[in-house]
Amino acid sequence: MAKISIPIGPQHPLLKEPLSMKVDISGEKVYGASLRLGYVHRGIERLAQQRNYVQNVHLIERICGICSHIHTTTYCHAVESLLKIEVPLRAHYLRALMCELERIHSHLLWLGILAKHVGLETIFMYTWHDRELALDIMEEITGGRVLHAANQIGGVRFDLDKDHIAMIHRTVDKLHNKLDRLLDVIENEPTLIARTRGVAPVSTELIKKYCVVGPVARASNVDVDMRRDNPLPPYDQLSFSVVTFQEGDALARTRVRAYEIRESIYLCEQILEDIPDGPVSTRVPRKVPEGEVIIRSEAPRGELFYYVRSDGTDKPARLKIRTPTLAALCLLPVQMSEIQVADIPVVLAGVDLCVACADR
Amino acid sequence: MDEMMVETLCLKLESQLDCACEYYTGIQNDTTLVIPPDRIADVIMLLDEDMNGIHLSTITAQQRENHPDEIEVMYHFYLKFGFSLLTSIPCKDPKLPSIVSIIPGADFYEREVAEMFGVEFIGRSETPRLLLPEDWDQGPPFVKNEVKDG
Repeated sequence: MAKISIPIGPQHPLLKEPLSMKVDISGEKVYGASLRLGYVHRGIERLAQQRNYVQNVHLIERICGICSHIHTTTYCHAVESLLKIEVPLRAHYLRALMCELERIHSHLLWLGILAKHVGLETIFMYTWHDRELALDIMEEITGGRVLHAANQIGGVRFDLDKDHIAMIHRTVDKLHNKLDRLLDVIENEPTLIARTRGVAPVSTELIKKYCVVGPVARASNVDVDMRRDNPLPPYDQLSFSVVTFQEGDALARTRVRAYEIRESIYLCEQILEDIPDGPVSTRVPRKVPEGEVIIRSEAPRGELFYYVRSDGTDKPARLKIRTPTLAALCLLPVQMSEIQVADIPVVLAGVDLCVACADR
Repeated sequence: MDEMMVETLCLKLESQLDCACEYYTGIQNDTTLVIPPDRIADVIMLLDEDMNGIHLSTITAQQRENHPDEIEVMYHFYLKFGFSLLTSIPCKDPKLPSIVSIIPGADFYEREVAEMFGVEFIGRSETPRLLLPEDWDQGPPFVKNEVKDG
C-alpha cells in the first residue's frame, strides 16, 4: 500500500496548543512522524535579558498556563542562590504546597484529556470537575487560578491563616475520596484499559537514550524524581514515594500520573502538618552579584532546568530554561512508529504535551 | 562522590583521549569541566560508555561580555549530581561536532543552539528550524549585532 504523509496541526482539533506534525502512514499503520515547534515561541529567554530580576518573575510565570508556579519557584531559587540569602522556611513550605497543588491539577487535567481522546467523555467531565477543587484552593490562597503571582524573590506573597488551613484540609480530603474513585476506573474500566494497554510501549533504554524525564520516564521504570534526587527545600524534609511502573505503555503512563496525585495529596497534608511559623519573605537587593547557578526542580512533567548568569547588574546576563516537554517531544517521532492511526491521540496525549513550555 | 568521579574522569580523559581538561568553579550546584571544542563528542562518548548511558539535561550557549568574539557552549548532564562540559568556539566560524549519534535526545538542543547562535553541528545531516519562523532572515537572534555585522 502506498505511503502518504498527513499533516496534523498547527491548528487541529486534536491539539489544544499549536504544534505541527507530519505523520507517515500506509493504510492504518503509522510509520513515522516529524515535528515542528515554534508557533507560540515568545523569545522569553531573550526578553528576560531586557527585564530586571523582579519583572522576570512575572514574565517567567507566563511561560506556561498549567505549571506556572514551578517556573517562578525554580527561577526564584536560582536568583536567591546568587544573592546568597536565606529564605524563610515557611516560604519554602508554602511554595511546595503550591507546587503539589499544581501537580494535582496538571495530572487531573491530563487524565481528563486522555479520557476524552479514548472516548470516555464522562471521565473527562469528572476529572475536570475534581481539578476545580485544586484550583479553588489556589485561588483562595493566592487570588489566581492559573497565574498565581505567589512567588517573589526572597519568599512568597501570601500566607495561610487558620481558616485557610482548615479549608485546604477539607478540600484535600474531598480530593482524596474522589481520587479513590478515579483510581478504581483506571485499574478496572475495560475501555480505558483496552485503549491504553500495550499502546506505544517505550523501553527503559530508549527513555535513557532520549533523556526523557518525569512521568513518561517513570512509566518505563526509570526511577528519577528531582524532588528526591536533588531536592529543593523543603522536599528534603518531606517523605513521599516515587511512583514507577515497568510496562512503559500508555496505561503505565496513566497509572503513574494517577498514583502521583495520591502522593501529592499526602505531601499537601504533610506540609500543612509541618509548616513552621514565621515570616514568609525577606527583603532582597535589586542588583544581583556576579555569578552563575543551575537549579533543577520537578515540574508536573518532569525535570525543569534553569541556568541563570548574573553580571552584577539588576538584569540577568543569560537565562536558559529547559522544560520537560522538550525532552519528551524528542521521543515522540520514535513513539509514532509501528502504531495504528487510531492510537495517535493516545500516544500524543500520553506525552502530556505542553507546547507553550516547549516553545517558551 | 562527585568530586572523586570527576577527578577519575579527568585522569581518564588525559590518559585515554589525550584531552586536556580543567575545572571551572563559576557555576553553583554544578561540577564543570572545560574541554577543547573538537573533543566534545569523544569525551561524551567516553562518558556514555563508562556510565552505560548519561542523562543530558540541555545545551546552553551564550556570549560573555568579556569574550564577545566567542560563543560558549555548555553541555549540562545529570549524573546524580549536576555536571557540565564547557567549551568555547569563535563567533566567526562557530562549529562543533554533533553528539546526536551518541545521545539522540540532543537533537532538539542542538537545533536550538544552531538557530539561536548560528552554530554549525558537524556530523549530522541537517539542523532544521525548531523555534524560529521559516522566513526568519535576520540572523541568529542571540548573537550580538556588532559580531553579526563583522
